[in-house]
Amino acid sequence: MSYLSTTDFAEDQKFVDRFRQTMRGDLELSWMDVAREPVSCRPQNERRGLTFRDLDVGSYGFTEMPERIRQNRSFAPRGAALPPGLPDLQAEVNRKSEVWAYNVEGYYEEAMTRQWNATTDIPWDELQQTELPEEIGKAYAQLLTFLTEVEMIATDVPAKWMGRLNADFFEVKNFIATQAMDEARHTEIFRKRALSTGYGLMRASAHNEFNLKFLRDADSFAEASLALHLQAEGMVLTLFRFSEYISPTEGDKKLFRLVMQDEARHVGYGMQHLKWVLDHFPERRELIHHHLDEAENFVFGGGYATEVVEPFIILSGKGLKKEQIAEGVRITNAFQLKQIEEYFERLAKCGLPERRERSRLWRLVDLNRQAMAAIAPSTSVPHA
Amino acid sequence: MALRFPSLAFFEALQREMRAERERFARLGFFDTIFGIRVLPESPGAAAEFVLGFEVFDCVRVAEGLAGVETDFVAEGSFSAWREMLDNIHALGAADAAHSFNTLTHFGERLSVRYDDPDRHDKVYRFAESIQEFLDLSARFDFDYPDGSRPPARRQLRRTAT
Repeated sequence: MSYLSTTDFAEDQKFVDRFRQTMRGDLELSWMDVAREPVSCRPQNERRGLTFRDLDVGSYGFTEMPERIRQNRSFAPRGAALPPGLPDLQAEVNRKSEVWAYNVEGYYEEAMTRQWNATTDIPWDELQQTELPEEIGKAYAQLLTFLTEVEMIATDVPAKWMGRLNADFFEVKNFIATQAMDEARHTEIFRKRALSTGYGLMRASAHNEFNLKFLRDADSFAEASLALHLQAEGMVLTLFRFSEYISPTEGDKKLFRLVMQDEARHVGYGMQHLKWVLDHFPERRELIHHHLDEAENFVFGGGYATEVVEPFIILSGKGLKKEQIAEGVRITNAFQLKQIEEYFERLAKCGLPERRERSRLWRLVDLNRQAMAAIAPSTSVPHA
Repeated sequence: MALRFPSLAFFEALQREMRAERERFARLGFFDTIFGIRVLPESPGAAAEFVLGFEVFDCVRVAEGLAGVETDFVAEGSFSAWREMLDNIHALGAADAAHSFNTLTHFGERLSVRYDDPDRHDKVYRFAESIQEFLDLSARFDFDYPDGSRPPARRQLRRTAT
């Protein structure tokens, strides 16, 4: 118990007397006389229901929220009267530009309506009836092991930051609460699928875990968001789409469509947050580059480790025969190029077009291109 | 008279089917996007273009032509590529592992997703299951192609392991 009350209320005579008076019917009622801004919010779109955007009015809303939250240091809901004596909870993040994103309230509403259930929304009975060839089953189980590992940290990171944000940023806190739920569900579904393939969980990835530790230990929410929402989840989004592409059954395809929906929402928040940062806090640009320099190094090490890449090659080539491996390498190369290209597209859209020139990830692209040219110079290559 | 693909009437039929399945789509969640469908002819000629608008749980807009229309993305492919997907859906009741919308568009080999804005492009993925289930509704009605041929009759949905 690290925090103790400075008052022992049972022994505080003034407090006890006031309580006795109240319970005798002698009400004080000072809270009723506080001057407030009366509002009666209504849905702008009846079919959508009452959304956070409908509540964006006056002092209750987010539009008029200042960049620096100097007034509310407590748990008081934004717009409530702040009486003297509220504790300073020492939130770690008090600047709007460190957390805010364009349309964060929209992403929250979308997340709430698009929740799904890993236990009941996947045709588990149909999946049980499908026996996977051994090399495909093992490769798939290894991919699922990697994804289970990744998604657990993707749950921990937003959960770690939620309580550290100023209470006035409740739309962001709510959004990352949905993200924590989404990622927990992803951990659940990948584990369930791994344990239903007939092969179970395969090998954890040391390289990948260094990357996950980097994500977890970010020094600020802005760094955590940049590395998690935009960079890591952006690449995982492309990976989920690729995983849908190479999935062996319809049920697995549905599984990946459902997880990609969640992931795309998180990436959307990450993009809109970076845009907001660059629009409102432009002096952070160089810091962002420095953080991405480090994040990209971890991604290279984690995302391209043997136990991560080889299952993709086997799944996309559909086996372990020489020609299947060659085909798998060709398709996996195309996926990796697409993954990097989409990452730079997103950064450019957010206002960081120079990242493409500065990034060392192009070394990886060159390696991929050389590999593709060496393997199948005369065959067609999927568009990256 | 049977509906024809590609035509405005075909997409209006999909819109009607979606409205009949409101509860199913409400379960999938908010579905807010405007996207285009472009069917490229096999021989020189104009592409058939359609715009589909979705809001909340409903398909609120179906129209012909993409000129001057602001879309999040456009799904484009040859008539034969669209036909292959629709034949598969019609025969099986829903796309199989080789014919899901994401699989067909992922590398742009059969169908492709055109876009200018990567943020808006990501709506393909934010609403992936809704888009797939919308397209799967084409299994529910009869239609034909410009040469008078029809998609294969409904078979038992098979579960494949590739």
